[in-house]
Amino acid sequence: MATSIATGALKPRVAVLISAVLNFAGAFISISVAATIAKGIVNPAVLAGNEGLALVLAALIGAISWNLITWYLKIPSSSSHALIGGVIGATIVASSIHAVNGHNLAKTVIIPAALSPLIAGLVAGIGTFTVYKLIRWLGETKAITGYRFGQIGSASLVSLAHGTNDAQKTMGVISLALIAHGDISATHFAVPLWVKLVCASAMALGTAAGGWRIINTMGNRITSVESPQGFAAESSSASVILASSYFGYPLSTTQVVSGGVLGAGLGKKLASVRWGVIGQMATAWVFTIPAAAVLAGAAWEIANLFGTSSNSGSLVIAALAALGAFGLWTLAQRNNITAADLDRTRVTPEIEADSGEAPAAVAA
Amino acid sequence: MLALAASLIDWSALWKIVLAALIGGAGVVIVFAFLLMAVDRATRASSNSVRVATYALSGICSVFIVGAVVIGIYAMTQKPKSKPVRPAKAAALVVLRRTG
Repeated sequence: MATSIATGALKPRVAVLISAVLNFAGAFISISVAATIAKGIVNPAVLAGNEGLALVLAALIGAISWNLITWYLKIPSSSSHALIGGVIGATIVASSIHAVNGHNLAKTVIIPAALSPLIAGLVAGIGTFTVYKLIRWLGETKAITGYRFGQIGSASLVSLAHGTNDAQKTMGVISLALIAHGDISATHFAVPLWVKLVCASAMALGTAAGGWRIINTMGNRITSVESPQGFAAESSSASVILASSYFGYPLSTTQVVSGGVLGAGLGKKLASVRWGVIGQMATAWVFTIPAAAVLAGAAWEIANLFGTSSNSGSLVIAALAALGAFGLWTLAQRNNITAADLDRTRVTPEIEADSGEAPAAVAA
Repeated sequence: MLALAASLIDWSALWKIVLAALIGGAGVVIVFAFLLMAVDRATRASSNSVRVATYALSGICSVFIVGAVVIGIYAMTQKPKSKPVRPAKAAALVVLRRTG
């Protein structure tokens, strides 16, 4: 929804509410990605009893810590890859590197992660380039108004795809905990309804809360986005996610949409792409899995100091993670970005076409 | 190297993803431009025949766009079921290491 907000197609609050509802709905569509996370990355045999639960908690803390650090730095990073990195790191430290299914990891996570933003960017670039050739006959003001309307549909489709991919990764991690506790079987894998409900609700509530810092980066800081570019970025991203999902590849929505926005920026003649921001994002992408793995490994070691067979180690790392999260949140309040900073619905297509007026939050 | 790439990349799936992305991504965006132009032309048309033709074109464009969205959602609901993961050779090593 970031580009829909950036182009003024939707008010920020309306956009995140639509996105939250569609994220919730999307979470119920499939469980194939959840199965990949729960069974395909690490051998479920290493998860047993309290130690297995502590491992899952350490994995989550590693992922959340990395996500919060990148959130504070306003860098979009993949929570999906952070989760996978967390699971890998905690597993390696708790067991051994042999417990990680390297071939599956490369085939279902690393290769799709590298290719999907490139495909989305290429497609968005082709779409944007062609559209700007065509709309010369229509007039930019009419085109911007029309594409703003169309963006409501394209952004909704991205939100639905986002729900079906990303909520499942959380389901996968909770399923790992349930396998460790012996509540569900890895061989006859099924996600309980309450897990789906909890993950869908968490996803929807998290989306509804805003995440204005990342929305500002995605919608405004990569490149100045007009509604035809936003439509191209969203429709190419949605297509890549849906087509990949059909073949069972769990993707990072963040990375695919970022690739789409970059491609849409490059597709318009004379559009300026902020390569510094792209560099920051690419760095975050490369480091997400290893960094989350290191943080999760450290969390496991700390838990191990206090005992992983009881709950004391888990309680200690949970308390430390909560303290760290509160600290980062407090720091973030110093240069907070709100929905009002990003509202562009009052910028008319004429003003947008003439001046490319940017919202106040871009440089924030 | 090629054998490794072949085992890691499903080329058949890859080209289908690229094709689907081109149709659903670039295709929809371009067809939407034709839709906007057709509607604009229809509202300004002085003769009935031009108006009918441009509205017909806008109808075809709308069908293409809605069809792409419907097929996309249908594809999501038809995700292949995950295959059971073979117990990895590595897992056996872990168990051996633990018991040994």
